Amino acid sequence: MSFALLRRGGVYVFLSIATFLSVFPFYWMAVGATNQSPDIVRGKLGFGGNLLVNFQHLMTQVDLPRVFGNSFFIAVVSTLLTLIVSSLAGYGFEMFRSRIRERIFQLLLLLLSIPFAALMVPLFVMISRAQLNNTFTAVILPGIASIFIVFYFRQATKAFPRELRDAARVDGLKEWQIFLFVYMPTMRSTYAAATIIVFMNAWNNYLWPLIVLQTPDNKTITLVISTLTAAYTPDYGVILLATVLATAPTLVIFFVLQRQFVQGMLGAVK
Amino acid sequence: MRKMTQLGFGARAGGRLAAALVGAAMLASSAFVGAASASELTVWCWDPNFNIPAMKDASERYTKAHPDTTFNVANITQDEINQKLQTQFLAGVTDGLPDIVLIQDDNIQRFLQSFPGSFVPLSDSIDMKKFADYKVAAATYDGKSYSLPFDSGVAGLFYRTDYLEQAGYKPEDLQSISWDKLLEIGKDVLAKTGHPLISMDYNGDDLIVLMMQSTGQWYLKNGKEPNILENPALKTALETFQKMAQAGVIKSVSGWTDYTGSFTSGQVATVPQGVWITGTIKSVPEQSGKWRVAPMPILEGVEGATHFTSNGGSSWYVLASSKHQDEAVDFLKTVWGSDVDFYQGILINQGAVGSLLAAREGAAYKASDPFFNGEPVWQNFSDWLAKVPTVDYGTFTPEARMAVRAQIPNIANGGNIDDALKAIDAQLRQQMQ
Repeated sequence: MSFALLRRGGVYVFLSIATFLSVFPFYWMAVGATNQSPDIVRGKLGFGGNLLVNFQHLMTQVDLPRVFGNSFFIAVVSTLLTLIVSSLAGYGFEMFRSRIRERIFQLLLLLLSIPFAALMVPLFVMISRAQLNNTFTAVILPGIASIFIVFYFRQATKAFPRELRDAARVDGLKEWQIFLFVYMPTMRSTYAAATIIVFMNAWNNYLWPLIVLQTPDNKTITLVISTLTAAYTPDYGVILLATVLATAPTLVIFFVLQRQFVQGMLGAVK
Repeated sequence: MRKMTQLGFGARAGGRLAAALVGAAMLASSAFVGAASASELTVWCWDPNFNIPAMKDASERYTKAHPDTTFNVANITQDEINQKLQTQFLAGVTDGLPDIVLIQDDNIQRFLQSFPGSFVPLSDSIDMKKFADYKVAAATYDGKSYSLPFDSGVAGLFYRTDYLEQAGYKPEDLQSISWDKLLEIGKDVLAKTGHPLISMDYNGDDLIVLMMQSTGQWYLKNGKEPNILENPALKTALETFQKMAQAGVIKSVSGWTDYTGSFTSGQVATVPQGVWITGTIKSVPEQSGKWRVAPMPILEGVEGATHFTSNGGSSWYVLASSKHQDEAVDFLKTVWGSDVDFYQGILINQGAVGSLLAAREGAAYKASDPFFNGEPVWQNFSDWLAKVPTVDYGTFTPEARMAVRAQIPNIANGGNIDDALKAIDAQLRQQMQ
């Protein structure tokens, strides 16, 4: 009895520490957003009364509705397009046989290992030649065919029951109808998990938007936060408030899709 | 762009209407060309409390005299500017670039040398003798200077008079001293008040840079060869740093926030740093009257050692791709290159010490500052500014600084300095290949 109890206690201690480590930064961020910069530097741990002042300062420095609008537009469109294109590709890779299928797939996985920094300059040249500089299209386009999401959908598709497809074929559905009306509803949890991943990546993307977006009115929230930190005497209250605001949408999406996300990660098919 | 679309529509409409529209569009575009002298200059720079208001002030002055020229000052961080310039120069695409950009001094040579022709040589039209020598030298390549030198990183020893007094030291005791003497003072201050002498991030080499440049030496010889093993200034600087660290007078901090916090919260007794730190020090009004500024200590026993040095500082550049080059150059020349009154304003409002030598004749520079016990700190800084030894930062300064930083914690812990120098040299050479 005592051994089991001890073990259980150990597990709880470990989990408590892990929880503390993952939750504390969020707590610190929220507390910081309500405090003055000097208090934050001093390491004050309690909530302060400076939230509205910080908000005012943030509003005078940043056109918040515009910046959030930009971020939302890019993230939502990116997510929709990426899910459509990459899930189609993942489905195709798994469902349709071809002699060179595995070769192409291996090549794609190999491409996954090339760091973005190496692709950036050629990509930038392409975008400029296409006269897409400083447009949201330039931010969204390169990410749509996401190799990782293709890979993720292909793995998930392995668990998709072939019988469903065969039954649909017998019922006379065309291939695109099978994808739309049989595959997509069945793979709901995979789509949910992919939504979280793609949305978060698009929302938090920094380097590529930094390079292609030139004018201030096109900036996204990540770019704006980075600008706030660049002062010789940064106002940490304002920065942390901006960070809280920037974290909120991804948190909301995660909590809404949490159940499906966990299922999707486990590869479950209903 | 919009005009082009209209033209396209017109052509498609066909017939006379098309001709009329094309004619109208041409008229419109010629009107546009005529109005092109009403140009907007785009400027990239960072810090909404420092560079940006200074630039805005300058641009307002210019627009007042030249109503056709307006400015768009964008807030972009230093890292972002480097990243964007690097990518666009590499890609050979210039359409997103600004007309004027701010670049830190120790970073400009890599742009000048890697992408020749990307910047307008300002020494062709502006007399560079009007600025501090070391600032001009930092942006000189192949006989031409490319910068309009702006904020100076000229450094001083900021110190807390109250702590030093408690330890039995007067302001006179800090004039013209050596680093070794400062260490002795630091030990006394620590013993009597409990306050460490300075704070330092052991992932940074600001202190080493300050010591080394005061002798006219740098990590690189002529900007090209590593100058690590045979560099007495660097060795002495590292030895001095080690003595201070071992004596316990350095408070180790991590990151910029922690660093500024160490003196705004009153923990350390002195801050050896570039003049741009003044704004941060003055951000705590309760400490008014408790601070003074002394000249930097000297690195005794090293040839060429002086009390004058610098850390940081940046300058303005005009991009060769700018469509409004002439206006951009004229703007820099008339405001940044000669308006002494303008420099008084940015000194008072932003605490920005420019590099225009004539600026120190203005009233604001001569004024004394109650925050610093009524010392004429600005006059002092601008006197020191003219005497900062010139060094050649070359293209590999960031790599050299990385290599030095990697050894700082080890040296602080009492590691062998010759071994550390060898490791720095090896790492730097490897990076330079």
